[in-house]
Amino acid sequence: MESFTPLTAALGGSLIGLATAVLWLGNGRIAGISGIFGQLLPPAQTVVWRLVFLVALVLATFVTAKLFPGLGVGGVEPARLVEAPASWGVPTPVWLGIAGLLTGLGTKIGNGCTSGHGVCGLARLSVRSLVAVAVFFGVAIITVAVTGVV
Amino acid sequence: MASLKLPYLATAALSGALFGAGLYVSQMVDPLKVLHFLDFTAIPSGGWDPSLAFVMVPAVIVMFIAVRLGKRRQAPLFDTAFHEPEYKRIDKRLVGGAALFGIGWGMAGICPGPAISLIAFVPDNLWIFLVTMLIGSLAGSLVIPSGHSKRLVDAQ
Repeated sequence: MESFTPLTAALGGSLIGLATAVLWLGNGRIAGISGIFGQLLPPAQTVVWRLVFLVALVLATFVTAKLFPGLGVGGVEPARLVEAPASWGVPTPVWLGIAGLLTGLGTKIGNGCTSGHGVCGLARLSVRSLVAVAVFFGVAIITVAVTGVV
Repeated sequence: MASLKLPYLATAALSGALFGAGLYVSQMVDPLKVLHFLDFTAIPSGGWDPSLAFVMVPAVIVMFIAVRLGKRRQAPLFDTAFHEPEYKRIDKRLVGGAALFGIGWGMAGICPGPAISLIAFVPDNLWIFLVTMLIGSLAGSLVIPSGHSKRLVDAQ
């Protein structure tokens, strides 16, 4: 299969694991992006490091994309990537808005996302995270099947 | 405060940078790639793209080693304690929250890391997702009891 990219996936996954390891051993913090993002607004007392982390994340994505064009987005025009997912005749902006709302709400209530529960939680052998990962993966798979966004 | 010192912030920057590079290299930043991974209906036709399963495994292994190394120490290098979540219960909130997130992820193929990472490409509609994700997060904090929230906040 042309689109099957296990090597770059594993390399990228190793970098993500390294990222979470650095934050854990350096600062004792879990690199869960939903948590880092969700507490950006004051009065959170730890806004500064969260901002530094997120700005570095965006800059590194930009630089890596410049160094290795086409690698990360499969040759698809990045600006079009966020246009694509829509289904049931719902306009893309509305579809994305609902998706964003559910993502923010769900990760806040469930206290984590793919990185916090998926990488850090599983590595900490947290049963809570294992349950969360099973649920959000399962529901996402069902959602794709039901909505037919692909 | 430890979180405002240079080594602490430099560590946050290094971690964020590795994370961004990892999201790009793994192609997690590509919502279509993610949706093709989540599309199990394509398995019978051979059109399923299982690549992203290969992201999680090494990431968890590397972090697992780090957690083991951390257990040998009293504290991380630049802070006084490891901020480990104290809350252990598996409750309706965990399952319900994960389910809502699963719907959002399956609709757009964007989870919070790539949502931030994609800013690098300035895609047309990304701001909508980012703003509503923040609104959803704020709305979520309103429905979580404050005692519960406080115990979790320190862990994040």
